Amino acid sequence: MSRRYDVIVVGGGHNGLVAAAYLARAGRSVLVLERRPLIGGSAVTEEVFPGFKFSVFSYVVSLLRPEIIRDLDLPRHGLQILPLESTMTPLDNGDYLASWADPDESRRELYRHSPRDTEAMVPFGRLMHHMALAVKPILAMVPPDPASLAPSDLKALLRLGRHFRSLGGAQFHALYKLMTMSSADYLDEWFEFDPLKATKSASGIIGTFLGPRSPGTAYVLLHHYMGEIDGAFRAWGFQKGGTGAISDAIGNAARALGAEIRTDAAVERVLTKRGRVTGVALESGEEIAAAIVVSGLDPRRTLTQLVDADELPDELVEGVRRYKFRGSSGKVNLALDGLPTFTCREGIRHHRGAISISPSVSYLERAYDEAKYGEFSRQPYMDIVFPSMIDPGMAPPGKHVMSIFVQYAPYALNGGWSDAKRDAFGDTVVQTLSRYAPDLPARILHRQVLTPADIERITGLTEGNIFQGELSLHQLFFLRPAPAWAKYRTPIGGYWQCGAGTHPGGGIMGASGRLAALEILRSA
Amino acid sequence: MSRDRFDAIVIGAGANGLAAAAALARAGHSTLILERASAVGGKARCLEFAPGFRAAPLSDTAGWLPPSVAAGLGMALPALDQSSLSVTVDGGGFLTLDPDPGRAAGTIRSYAPADAERWPRFTALLDDLAGFLARLYQRATPDVDAATIGEMATVASLAWHFRRMGRRGMIELMRTIPMSVQELLDDWFTHDALKAVVASGGVHGIRQGPRAGGTGFVLLHHRVGAAAGSPRGRGYWRAGPDAAVLAFAETARRHGATIRTDAEVTHIVVTDAGVSGVVLRSGEQIDAATVLATPDPGHVLLDLVDPVRLDPEFRHAVKQIKYRGSTAYVLYALDARPDVPGLSLDGAALTGTVSLTANMVLLERAYDAAKHGTMPAHPHVEFSLPSVRWPHLAPTGKHILLAEARYVRYAPEDDAARETLTDAITRAVAAVAPRFEDMILHRATLTPRDLAEQFGLSEGAATHGELTLDQILFMRPVPGWAHYRMPVSGLYLCGAGTHPGPGVLGGAGWLAARSVCTRRKPAG
Repeated sequence: MSRRYDVIVVGGGHNGLVAAAYLARAGRSVLVLERRPLIGGSAVTEEVFPGFKFSVFSYVVSLLRPEIIRDLDLPRHGLQILPLESTMTPLDNGDYLASWADPDESRRELYRHSPRDTEAMVPFGRLMHHMALAVKPILAMVPPDPASLAPSDLKALLRLGRHFRSLGGAQFHALYKLMTMSSADYLDEWFEFDPLKATKSASGIIGTFLGPRSPGTAYVLLHHYMGEIDGAFRAWGFQKGGTGAISDAIGNAARALGAEIRTDAAVERVLTKRGRVTGVALESGEEIAAAIVVSGLDPRRTLTQLVDADELPDELVEGVRRYKFRGSSGKVNLALDGLPTFTCREGIRHHRGAISISPSVSYLERAYDEAKYGEFSRQPYMDIVFPSMIDPGMAPPGKHVMSIFVQYAPYALNGGWSDAKRDAFGDTVVQTLSRYAPDLPARILHRQVLTPADIERITGLTEGNIFQGELSLHQLFFLRPAPAWAKYRTPIGGYWQCGAGTHPGGGIMGASGRLAALEILRSA
Repeated sequence: MSRDRFDAIVIGAGANGLAAAAALARAGHSTLILERASAVGGKARCLEFAPGFRAAPLSDTAGWLPPSVAAGLGMALPALDQSSLSVTVDGGGFLTLDPDPGRAAGTIRSYAPADAERWPRFTALLDDLAGFLARLYQRATPDVDAATIGEMATVASLAWHFRRMGRRGMIELMRTIPMSVQELLDDWFTHDALKAVVASGGVHGIRQGPRAGGTGFVLLHHRVGAAAGSPRGRGYWRAGPDAAVLAFAETARRHGATIRTDAEVTHIVVTDAGVSGVVLRSGEQIDAATVLATPDPGHVLLDLVDPVRLDPEFRHAVKQIKYRGSTAYVLYALDARPDVPGLSLDGAALTGTVSLTANMVLLERAYDAAKHGTMPAHPHVEFSLPSVRWPHLAPTGKHILLAEARYVRYAPEDDAARETLTDAITRAVAAVAPRFEDMILHRATLTPRDLAEQFGLSEGAATHGELTLDQILFMRPVPGWAHYRMPVSGLYLCGAGTHPGPGVLGGAGWLAARSVCTRRKPAG
């Protein structure tokens, strides 16, 4: 065996890097092992076509925890988030619905469509703000085990109970509604303008295999509302240089704190002896010793592939087997020789923000219906940004990159994914968009299409689920990834989990990595 | 002219109204029950839909009469019989699930041996989980702002019972309640028809498909009080579908309550001091300082109470209640007993329920139509033969077939749409019962719209508010008002729209009456 480390982190995704940085900061010798030639996991920037750089998978940021930015001094290491200033939804009647950075302008715009909704937006915004505040302490909490009688668990449960009581009836009930309702029903209680409801409810379906009318999606809506950049709730932004630059910033911070990072180093197995980890074996055959191994991979890889299932209790193996991934989204990245023209609105101001293809709740629901029966949506929901409009360095001068998040594309496609089906999926995306921007096809220089199967193959995310497992109610908090094993530890001594498949999970948030590191430090 | 005066008036002579009246009368309150229809029974009332043919479409299973209610009222539980559940299988034939799990496993074995192994364990787990709900359903629901000693005691007692379920029970309960019935069944079984027939219990009375979160809870809700191991539902009352309500009526009379039928309340009189009585359609006014109402919350609070007496925010919350009736019934008067080839004729299967939906995709597709506001081409149909269970409901030698169809939209139906729907249901039954169409003497269709008109149900929903997770426990009927008292002094709500909800006979009525008794002493 080569040199020995206190801690080995398997997987150089953002959670693994965050965990490594916190552990290095506490004085541990830490080695991060990344299978791919670059760090970042799903938060990577790659020059897919010469001169055109893409945030290949994850493309916007909002949820990254402010305490992590602070603790790791990320701005010094390159974190620079540029605000995404608007969202525009092209409508079926040729008009559009937009929201802008200036709240007054947004109000005037919405007033055009619905004076009533303009009124409702104020109390709605206030309530969602309160809800995000109510959930915040829970995001920063190691989930207690409600079935345990250990004093620490009972204390944490009591604290949780007191937290909910302190919200008072009205806020608690509102939070409970958000946790259980469908985003469409929830928004119906507030708004009347269908494209507004559709655009808002779209954030409730991202990364799930559910439609906007499925109960449980209102929570995902809230999950996307919890973002904070510089303390301002709800702002989404774009990292200069693409999301890979966020991973690089965290990686730089970890290195500065003493962590080592090795790329092209695929871990094949976690080595154990008498129920304790002893290190890892790489695919190259090399073995590296460590007393602690932390896996940033998803629960299925962490608990059933890196280690033998027979080292784990049956109950946990069963729990992991039942844990739902069900990837439902794909990504299309386009290199363009110029900006496409959206016929619903003149000018290019809206190209600096997000463009949402969500003309009605029924549109989204029908997109889901097709996926339920194993087909990709013939008219999918899409969330589009032009990173080169915000950071010109992403494309050669005068050219542009276009990032298209597409849902639904089921991992379990009827007959499975093939090259022909990938092409058909890409064609569907471009065709659907050309209804809104007829000159788009003519502007395309290159096209990269990523199906859930591709996402799985490249990033390792099981079934291509972008959250390392669905954010459904029965897979959250003390049930994520499995009951009794939601506190980052595993039944194998010294073996820990820190990926998005643990609480609170999902998005470029880093909270799982941080909480896992703190839990490791506390237990050692 | 002096007006009649009572201590308490109960609106509605269904199970809840009769139970409430019986409890109040027993405690010494002079109590009057006012029923709109010409007979008692509420949803269990038998309708004569053709000369000599009677049926209670909304009461095809017994429901659960909690032992604490029967004991509290001093009434004997009517005799209950268990029945089987059959489902048509793709490729022909039927799978019949006996209420005895061992025997059911025997029939499952010939289709799917692995599923047969699991069946007894699965039903035992559901029994355990439903057992906890049974405790929850026999008390007023706890809420987050519980303050009184009684409320705290409820919370403590439930917490104790929760822990007594053991680690596995606790975890399974927390997982199952928010999950979709489809995910739950996928974890356990492989056989399509078996999954489809159990899943249909998870979407009973709710306009959601089997993939919707929270349908796991619905499955459990309808099993509360079911005999151990039974596949779904709760058997039937041996003496007739209305046996339990008639027993409640007898008990109420025995304790001294007065029952008036053909007495429709059109207005609840409220003064600054609170409730002072009710006005009937005839114009007659009857005085009482306490009024308990069992119709659904929307009807009571929006139609019967003067809007100026309610806080606008409270009214807004009441308007948000989702009813969404989506079940239609067709009552067939038949010349003879239909023969269903392949279905065991030894009696057990014929007293039970037969589902014609052989797999989950068909069930989900039936839901899709209603979701998009159309009538399904192939509704989900289940039928039973009430005249086999209860020969007195039909003339000698004649029979009744009761078909229940989902998902049917709630909309004003013209005759053509009703005929189309009825024909689709008739065809579905005829497909398994060859001579069925020739036997039909008469048929009567009840769409959600008809149920709204004939039973006074908002949106035709027998549930008085569908059982989504955001509309149960402390959220039922509206958040903050789950303890039967409404924000008008002396007005109580105690129908299925309040905790513990539909199918729990007398549950809400009994708890509401107890709440009244702790606050008000009999005048005499």
